[in-house]
Amino acid sequence: MAVRIPNTLNELPASQPRFVGRGIRRVEDASLLTGRTPFIDDVVLPQMLHCAILKSPFAHARISSIDTKEAEALPGVVAVLTGEDVLRWSYPAQSAPEGWGSHCMATDVTRFVGEPVAAVAATSRYVAEDAIELIFVDYEPLEAVADPFEAMNSDSPLVMEDQGSNVMMDRVFNWGEVDQVFSDAEHVVREKFRWHRMGANPTETFGCIAEWSPLDLSITLRGSIQSPSMFALGRASTFGLPPNKVNVISHPHGGSFGGKGGSRGSDITCMLSRKADGRPVKWIEDRIEYLTSGGSQAWDRHYEAAIAVDADGIVQGLDVQLVDDIGATGDMYGAICAAKPLAAFTGPYTIQAARYDLKLVATNKLPSGPYRGMGPPPHFFVLEQLMDRAARLRGEDPSEFRRKNFIRSDQFPYTIPSGNEYDSGNYGEVLDRVLELSDYTEMRANQVKAREEGRLVGVGVASAIEPGVFDWNAYAIVGMQGTGVPEGATVGIDVMGGVTVRVGFALEGQGQYTLVSQLVSDFFGVVPEAVQVVQLDTQSAPPSFGPGGSRLGVSITGAVLGACEKIKEKMIRVVASLMQCEPEQVRLLDGKFGVEGVPGAEMTVPEVAGTMLARSDLLPPDVDPAPVATHVWTAAGRTEPDEEGRAKSYLTAAHAVHVVQVEVDRATGMVEIQRYCLADDCGTRLNPATVEGQTDGSVAQGIGAALLEEYAYDEDAQPLTTSFMDYLLPTVFEVPEIEKVAVVTPSPFTPLGAKGCGEGAIHTTPAAIMCAINDALLPLGVQTTEVPASPRRLWKLIQEAQS
Amino acid sequence: MKPAPFEYAAPKTIAEALDILGQNDLDEVKLMAGGQSLMPLLNMRLARPSLVLDLNHVEGLDGIREESSGLRVGAMTTKRVLEDSDLVRSQYPLLWESTVAIGHAPIRNRGTVGGSMVQADPASEYPAAALAFDMEFVVMSSAGERVIQAEDFFVTYLTTSIEPGEILTEIRIPRLPPGTGWGFQELARRHGDFAIVGALATVRVESGLCCDPRIVLFGAADRAIRVPAGEACLEGAPPSEASLTVMGDAVFDAVEDPLSDVHASAEYRRDLARVLSKRAMSEAMSRAS
Repeated sequence: MAVRIPNTLNELPASQPRFVGRGIRRVEDASLLTGRTPFIDDVVLPQMLHCAILKSPFAHARISSIDTKEAEALPGVVAVLTGEDVLRWSYPAQSAPEGWGSHCMATDVTRFVGEPVAAVAATSRYVAEDAIELIFVDYEPLEAVADPFEAMNSDSPLVMEDQGSNVMMDRVFNWGEVDQVFSDAEHVVREKFRWHRMGANPTETFGCIAEWSPLDLSITLRGSIQSPSMFALGRASTFGLPPNKVNVISHPHGGSFGGKGGSRGSDITCMLSRKADGRPVKWIEDRIEYLTSGGSQAWDRHYEAAIAVDADGIVQGLDVQLVDDIGATGDMYGAICAAKPLAAFTGPYTIQAARYDLKLVATNKLPSGPYRGMGPPPHFFVLEQLMDRAARLRGEDPSEFRRKNFIRSDQFPYTIPSGNEYDSGNYGEVLDRVLELSDYTEMRANQVKAREEGRLVGVGVASAIEPGVFDWNAYAIVGMQGTGVPEGATVGIDVMGGVTVRVGFALEGQGQYTLVSQLVSDFFGVVPEAVQVVQLDTQSAPPSFGPGGSRLGVSITGAVLGACEKIKEKMIRVVASLMQCEPEQVRLLDGKFGVEGVPGAEMTVPEVAGTMLARSDLLPPDVDPAPVATHVWTAAGRTEPDEEGRAKSYLTAAHAVHVVQVEVDRATGMVEIQRYCLADDCGTRLNPATVEGQTDGSVAQGIGAALLEEYAYDEDAQPLTTSFMDYLLPTVFEVPEIEKVAVVTPSPFTPLGAKGCGEGAIHTTPAAIMCAINDALLPLGVQTTEVPASPRRLWKLIQEAQS
Repeated sequence: MKPAPFEYAAPKTIAEALDILGQNDLDEVKLMAGGQSLMPLLNMRLARPSLVLDLNHVEGLDGIREESSGLRVGAMTTKRVLEDSDLVRSQYPLLWESTVAIGHAPIRNRGTVGGSMVQADPASEYPAAALAFDMEFVVMSSAGERVIQAEDFFVTYLTTSIEPGEILTEIRIPRLPPGTGWGFQELARRHGDFAIVGALATVRVESGLCCDPRIVLFGAADRAIRVPAGEACLEGAPPSEASLTVMGDAVFDAVEDPLSDVHASAEYRRDLARVLSKRAMSEAMSRAS
């Protein structure tokens, strides 16, 4: 049945939406705030065992022998797993790019510090940790490589010997007349940039409980799993099982931001359970494991980039060379972070030609994974530094230089050189609003005064695009094929009129269950507290991907409204039959079905549902009696990539401009954020409070990226930042009050006009802060090109400038 | 992150605690105060004692008492008690500033004054405060009580002159002489982190000249250190920008071999010692009379 999903709030069957578009209280919060939400570590199953994993202390070593006898003899130990079992029972991880996956445990060679080497299942985690100390491994250390440029040399040690090289991918994409615009340019601004390795740190690390059924060779896997259906496919591929033999039950989790990872731990516990005759095996990743061998690390990048600016100050070309240090294997999806910039390669600007020279390189560091934003934040950091330099070269204010390069609001939908289409926007308006909010003119005047006093005060203006509603085709250039990412929901109304919505994803913190309740409430005229949202496991759920790629708000809105529309159509037929009128005369509004032209002829939604379920005698003969419907939504109009990787991938393009004022302490190199202002446009705000929360959190992560967070390794690829003493997350003390203003340009292509906004400000914040720092450093004649701008780096730069 | 097996004892009196120490191999015993350093070390299996002797239930080891010469602080007094003390805040403001710079509220709720002193982390605030105040450390053993001066207490990284078998029971904190100005500065990557470098300064100004200047650094060496060379530059000098510059250079020269790690190179720490000691002393001068 073709279903038309409302594109605007006015099209909902409510005279005035009472819930959608309002910052209502979240239905999830009572349970969360009172500690009643069951996280995976709260779950205890009968006969459950606990896993501990022995990790490699070497970045690169050959395992000559493993002796597990003493561990096996320790009372309480039930199973010990080594590479031998893993080779017998599993395949290397499905991976992008192809051939760069590895087993969940080292089978002959360890390739990074923290790679699992053996694992134990025991009656408690204490005993399991005692037992792994009784496993004796003989390592033959091999030379390790920690630098991607060294890794590209022909005499470098090989991370994966079979591949014959450490270069996973080396490809140049040309979009438009790049050489021409650079040779015609009035100015070419070129610079090298370094974005150090950092990444996601959810409050809760990964955890799981695996059960292997020896009876039917199936797996039940509970865990804090971000993408349950994809995770089930991954495990099926690891074990050579049909996907329907893997049931993933995702538990509510304490954030993810892409960092939940967990494939190695899941595969290890599945095999331990198999060895323990099917007893459930729990593994809770501890923070050190998370930081050194989990889904924690992303975006380890070396850039050289240039823009070509014509005589009018219009940026005509962008040339980006990226050497992306992916780490020891490709099996944590790190590579796709280098592909996603294609969805917004030229940012909010009318740049007509672009080149992307992309090298993905393996080193003996932890395989890199996804992180909020999935790759564009460093790309925009680079682009925005170049924009500032070009503006300075021309003596133009950075905000006005950006304005004249913006895509105009009458140019949408707008196709960028790398192939994606931006749905809509009003970039000039967004800029106006943030300049107004920040008193930009006064900010600049204060900066002049501060400089006269010898203070290093700087103002940064940066603008970026957040691609929303991801599509697999965005990652096709690194081997993740597919067009369309379905999200399904089943809506059902019971005999008393209660509405239940069944979805395929777990609570993760973004308030999607509240959104589901809001949608259903306005559609059927109930209240959010009366709506029950139920999470299904992967064997019961409709096709679902879950949160990720700034997609779920838009996608689940499409799924829920589609299912509601289907129920409405069924109910209209019932009402028409009861009221003895034509279906075309029946209208749903504010929870009541009325008959056009017959005042008072009304039935409420519960009355219709009750009739359908309890008065079959009254139903017309050919009607489906179930007030239940499933709808699977997928973005329309997505395209396969062409030979240059160009595709319509992400459905929406949210936009933001941030204005930030910082002061750099010239004696210590410390940066203080003095003001943080932003304007953003993510279309219709389905729950403005949720959007605001996403923005605040994303700014905080952007501040961490710009100033604090860095996974450091020494030259032997030994990690130096293995706890929160050394890997520094921003706290409430480092994040200032964020002043925000919203611009709303509804998307013409999405349910209710909403745009993806879950990843949000991290696209813009690091760029804006780095622009501000460089603006502050201007009187010294130096510029920083390294993220994070830690005090020791800035101090060194300032020392060099002053000597 | 679960500790290796260990025995646990929670004596109620100091005599009982000393008894237990006497019955065990002292190399295998760890005394636990607030546990803010010991618990992570146990959980990471970096500390593997056979016995953890918990001092939290020993009577008489906590509380603040004021006497004419100064404060007597029980070793098991939590930092939070000092933070919440009006007496400390008004009469010993440098001690109060050193206290609130330590970690975050939950850490100060548990962490003890004595625990920080005995842990002797070179980047922690309290050992530096001990040198600034000339604190005295009262330790008990089966042989009786002895008092160790602050300058003899801190030996090197995580090492004090307390002998195995001794328990720190009390810290005596003299009042600073009337008219003493004080300054406290530390640079940490984030609020509540261990300092990269910190500086405490005290000085009096008599007849327009600096008198008894004192500079203590933390995070700049293997332990908290005084910088006599810097102090000497100021003794009898006017409290001026020029004096501070001379002092800062002397501090820079005196800090010979600071730690180098992912947050700060040795050269950066050395320069911070100069910058922060100047800032702290400048504050001290402005508060001195």
